[in-house]
Amino acid sequence: MTAITEGNLRISVPSDVTARKFDIGDTHGLTHCMKAVDLILEFKDHFLFIEIKDPEHPQANAMDRDTFIKKFQTGKIDEDLKYKYRDSFLYEWACGKIEKPIYYYVLIAIDGLTEADLQAKADDLKRKVPQCGPSSGIWKHWIVEDVMVFNLSTWNKHLKDFPIRRSIP
Amino acid sequence: MKVVYSACDITKTKLNFAEKLVNVFLPSNHALGRLVKRKKTSSSCAIEVSRGSVRIRASFSNHSTKTGSASITGINEWQARPIESVYIPVKEMLANSPGFRSLYAGREIHFEEIYRDILDRAHRPAPRGPTDKNRKTLLTILQKAMDGKITTKEEEFFLQSEQGNLEFSLLAEGMRKLGLLWLLIQNGTLLEGSILFWDEPETNLNPKLYGVITEILLELQRHGVQIFLATHDYVILKELDLRMKEKDNVLFHALYHDTEITQIRCHTSDRYLGIHPNAVAEAFADLYDREVGRSLGRLLK
Repeated sequence: MTAITEGNLRISVPSDVTARKFDIGDTHGLTHCMKAVDLILEFKDHFLFIEIKDPEHPQANAMDRDTFIKKFQTGKIDEDLKYKYRDSFLYEWACGKIEKPIYYYVLIAIDGLTEADLQAKADDLKRKVPQCGPSSGIWKHWIVEDVMVFNLSTWNKHLKDFPIRRSIP
Repeated sequence: MKVVYSACDITKTKLNFAEKLVNVFLPSNHALGRLVKRKKTSSSCAIEVSRGSVRIRASFSNHSTKTGSASITGINEWQARPIESVYIPVKEMLANSPGFRSLYAGREIHFEEIYRDILDRAHRPAPRGPTDKNRKTLLTILQKAMDGKITTKEEEFFLQSEQGNLEFSLLAEGMRKLGLLWLLIQNGTLLEGSILFWDEPETNLNPKLYGVITEILLELQRHGVQIFLATHDYVILKELDLRMKEKDNVLFHALYHDTEITQIRCHTSDRYLGIHPNAVAEAFADLYDREVGRSLGRLLK
């Protein structure tokens, strides 16, 4: 079991899955012009891109929290999530690493988000990425296999082998 | 809601409570006893509605065929204080208005009385004098959403907009609902002290208009109109939850079937998250769980 810390959150990953932090300026090298998801997990047959938003971080300052709420309410967060995925996809493609289908899971650590809210966010993000190509059927490959949005509670309910806990509760 | 509406309506019409119940529920052959919960043996029921210390009670058995056989108590005191009430049914009626009320009055047609009642209220003329500020504000919000206001010619309703007069039968049903609300506010039916019952306001309404409807309802509540909404819609519930302010007086009642005592029970909360059981949220949670399950089924295979 490997543990990776992202801000105040700590995700545990089984040893047969390779995990790496992706959104690190020094190793990524292009964060000035490309957005990046936080983590990339590699399974035998798939990749999992993970983006974590943690506005309820106990040490988050009020200004950061307000900025997040504003971005959330105006829909800017959806744009941000879309470009994070697309740029990460492009980056990995240029590295020659896109050999398997990719899943994109977003964790928004807000307790108040209900399953209905999460489902609506996921559907919206699937349309924006987009999950499906044009209706002409001209795409030979999908750029994402699936997109889901979780809060901490639904993440830990469904991804029991990848639990996420707060480092400082 | 129909029972409470019936009790409120007879404070104005002075009708017999049991008769109003029959007209509103429309049991087969107008048999009052058919409103009693069905059992293999003889059974009876009692209906009680109260406001403050005043209460009206009707009791009858499943054998009651005539409304006169019901035992009604408290009727005089109950009817001594009239209450204005409106029941907006699921089916929109304004587009079918021309000729309906005279047909209903003269013939035995199989329509619950709520449909005639709502048309009666919609056709009321506006009160004398200028429209007060509160009503003007609400009317303006609705006019903006409808791109016009409502006019009537003989018994027919029209939306008067820049395109001219559009008859209600040509309008989307959701727009007709906004029109009905506009009429009830404009003609002074929904004033302080009145009660509005609205059965599933979301039916045939564009979800983008839910916010307008919810804001109008909250504003009416702030002006002293008591409102009962029956809904199975997540967006309506969340609109209320997100738009209500601290001083607003909103309660969520979850009616559910208690399998242990085989009865309908009610759980009340002043917050959306306190609704329990929440059949609407459960349905969404089930969809979400299955969607996550489908995704994980492929990812972790």
